[in-house]
Amino acid sequence: MKFNAIQLLMALSLALTLFSCMENDPERPLGEYDTGILIMNEGSFGANDGEVFHLNPSTGMIKTNIFEKANSRPFAGLLEDINYENDNLYLVANTGKIEIVNPGDFTSLGAVTSDLDQPRSLTVNSGKLFISDYGPYDENYGTPNSYIAVVRNTLGGSVTKKIPVSRKPEDLISFGKYILVAGSEEGKVEVIDTEKEEVIKIIEVAGKPAVFYEAAGKIWLYSTGSDEVYFYSFHLDNFTLATTNIFPIPNATGKIAFGNNDIMYLLTSSGWPDYNDGIAQVSVLGPELNPNWYSGSGFYGIGFDTTRGELYVANANGFQGNGTITVLDENGNELQTFESGRGPSGFLMR
Amino acid sequence: MILFVWVVLLFGQEVEKSDTLRLQEIQIEAPVYQEYGRGKKRISWNKEELKNYTNRSIAELLAEKSPVFIRQYGPGMLASSNFRGTSAGHTAIFWNGIPLNSPSLGQSDLSILPMIAVDQVDLSFGSDGALLGNESLSGSIHLSSESLFNQSPTLLFQQEFGSFGQYHVGLKGGYSTEKLGIQTKVYYQNNPNEYNYRDFSEAGSPIKKQDHAAFQQKGFLQDFQWKINSNQQLKASYWWNEAIREIQPVMGSSTHDIQTDESHRFSLQYLQYGRKGIFEVQSGWVKDRQYFNQIKNETSSLFLNTDWTFNQTGNWEIRLGSRGSLISGDLSTYSAQEVRWETYQFINFSGLKNLDFSLNLRQLFYEDQVVPFIPSLGMDWRISNEFSLKTSFGKGFKIPTLNDRYWEPGGNPSLLPEESWQGEMGVLWQKRNFESQLTHYRLKVNNWILWQPEGSIWIPENLRQVRNQGLEWDNKLETKIGKNNLTFNWGYTYTNAVNLPNPEESSSFWNKQLPYTPQHQARGSMTFSRAKFSFQFSSQYVGPRATTLDNSRIMEGYFLAQTHLSVENFNLGPFKTNIQFRIQNLLNKEYQVLYLRPMPGRSYHINLSIQL
Repeated sequence: MKFNAIQLLMALSLALTLFSCMENDPERPLGEYDTGILIMNEGSFGANDGEVFHLNPSTGMIKTNIFEKANSRPFAGLLEDINYENDNLYLVANTGKIEIVNPGDFTSLGAVTSDLDQPRSLTVNSGKLFISDYGPYDENYGTPNSYIAVVRNTLGGSVTKKIPVSRKPEDLISFGKYILVAGSEEGKVEVIDTEKEEVIKIIEVAGKPAVFYEAAGKIWLYSTGSDEVYFYSFHLDNFTLATTNIFPIPNATGKIAFGNNDIMYLLTSSGWPDYNDGIAQVSVLGPELNPNWYSGSGFYGIGFDTTRGELYVANANGFQGNGTITVLDENGNELQTFESGRGPSGFLMR
Repeated sequence: MILFVWVVLLFGQEVEKSDTLRLQEIQIEAPVYQEYGRGKKRISWNKEELKNYTNRSIAELLAEKSPVFIRQYGPGMLASSNFRGTSAGHTAIFWNGIPLNSPSLGQSDLSILPMIAVDQVDLSFGSDGALLGNESLSGSIHLSSESLFNQSPTLLFQQEFGSFGQYHVGLKGGYSTEKLGIQTKVYYQNNPNEYNYRDFSEAGSPIKKQDHAAFQQKGFLQDFQWKINSNQQLKASYWWNEAIREIQPVMGSSTHDIQTDESHRFSLQYLQYGRKGIFEVQSGWVKDRQYFNQIKNETSSLFLNTDWTFNQTGNWEIRLGSRGSLISGDLSTYSAQEVRWETYQFINFSGLKNLDFSLNLRQLFYEDQVVPFIPSLGMDWRISNEFSLKTSFGKGFKIPTLNDRYWEPGGNPSLLPEESWQGEMGVLWQKRNFESQLTHYRLKVNNWILWQPEGSIWIPENLRQVRNQGLEWDNKLETKIGKNNLTFNWGYTYTNAVNLPNPEESSSFWNKQLPYTPQHQARGSMTFSRAKFSFQFSSQYVGPRATTLDNSRIMEGYFLAQTHLSVENFNLGPFKTNIQFRIQNLLNKEYQVLYLRPMPGRSYHINLSIQL
């Protein structure tokens, strides 16, 4: 999951600040999907049946396939990420496209449909889209030609440049005119100057960089190793490592949810032969550490509703049909379970 | 067309041509699924009935003319059969008695089995593990070469041009005597598949031209049959086929995968007819080499059968046999080799009035596993001159494929064979030129293997139990009005295939119709012929299908129609010529067999066959 509540708040603040400076700009009325929880359903490989569901946590009402209903056509992709930036929602399909929709009603505003291979995430900076992309597979299923694609229009269009980066870039975060790239396979954080559209610095880190977030006025990186997880913060004036926190949590998958009181929830999976999944609780800024906070199987996504203090855990049910969502309170008690779309993998709390 | 001219020049001399066969008394040994498959539903097409499909694939034949649902990923793309609501790997496919399914995948791609290579197609429905062995859980497809003895020499050249850049060319040559039969076939197909489709993955759903679904196929087939003397016969066949395909991406994807499939198949059969029975030795070898982009996967299978058939009395016929198979796979993530041994006993009994029985048993050993007792029992009852009843009960099984057991990562060596139990009953009514057959079946599949993600790794498990039941209704009426011949065929298939409750799966998947299994299918055709002219109109209806196990998305049903217009045996200079004009998807229906996999609209094809 590449988004979190803190990022969202930052983006909203930025958007509000920008819009507050514009005179005569009509205020957009609150749309149907501007509140509540968006459930990201990745879809099944080869079927391209990714979709977004909307949950009203107050009433429990779920609206299914909201992209298809708003646009009278299927999403037709594997939904990798949803980013709320620049007052738009960007739906990133790792099958090779970006759909840009109105966050209130999900009607299409634009798209990037060509010159992408396996996009993973996106950020908006300097009026441009920067899209992390694994690039094409080679004959050994390696991705030696990963890149950040640049689209010089926030409502999509054609890719104008591909900035080469280390293999398998994942999350992106903007800071001023710079973006940071989580290079997951080679353990690198690359800094891109969005005006020059080139990498200006590379920071070596341990593990597989997965997700950026902001806390306590800093940018942080969550990175996973086989036996431990790493949280790095950065000096943003010279892009060097500021702090490193290491927690002995094995088998973390890279999926993370940001709870209240600086508590984070990390998905783990033991892999072969037991395939036990779990949720570990950690805090970089506080004392929390509970590597075995919750256990189960089939976990595929995680999200936290900070307003209600509820953790959402997604189960893909083997991709044979729709997945299920289990809602937990902050003590790990199950509150409810309901059906989502196929391959639920993340949540965007609106 | 250049090739056409070349062939005309080269073979411009007239050879003996005759449509009349000189029939002599010969000993014919029927395949086991006919001889011992009593009580089972079968459908057969002979060479004459298949002539309109010569330049097409087995997948297209079955989709248009059979009750079997064909899952097709696009024109010329992966196509698999789903007999009675089961999956692609639950159909055994044979060519001249040799199993063709890939030992690593456990299935065959029906799109790259061209009809030009075969003279006869038979479908056998239901669980047939005792008669046919591995993989026949719900049905089997039998492709074969015809008997070649005592036929006139032939040299037939065929060309077909069609929409979307399609081009096929084939050459068949045959020579035979009373004791010797030789047949050679060479073919080449090119289909750029540049058809228009509506791209739902983009805003406005624009019409686009398919640009990554090109299909090329070529092959060579040689049949050799020799009556060594009045008691001995030898048959050998070799088939080489290569298909190169751009894999059509699902809508919304931009993949540009290329797949090459090359196969060598060889079958050798020796028959010795004795006073009390027949001794048969059959051997076969199949080598499949596949490149997916640059990734190579290779498998080979070597088979050796020996059978002895004898009549103890006039009412009893018994066949005893055994088969050894050497299976090997050299795949991108593993290498494996396996030996399998099978023994089987088939018994026919015809000692009761109007009743014929078959009892078949098979035992199989592989690795350290035993599949000890696979039975089937069938009965044909001729109730009257007009009515007959067929009923059978049997078991099918499928050994986990090499990929299921050895793929790295995820392969699960402890998997059990999938197994099915099936009972069926059918009534056949034949009156003058009309026949109607209604069949009801019930089928249960246990230990159904399913690949599921465990963390980031997909692993196969014996997870599912499925219960299938249904009705199959087939009808045929032939009539003559003056010099006009009219033939009507129509049929309906009802399939109820549900996933039984299973604590390992979400309850939302329980008791739901399996994905891509239409409950309702129907088909019909009308053929009009008079002298050298024939006209056929045929159509199929495929009902709504779910895309997932919880039936949360239902694809709408579709109705397709085709028409053929043929003129046969007219003289073009010294040559006898057939010409056929065909329209596929006559109503230009926009449809998908599988979700987001567009199929082509209306297409036109013209086919010219010249008997040189």
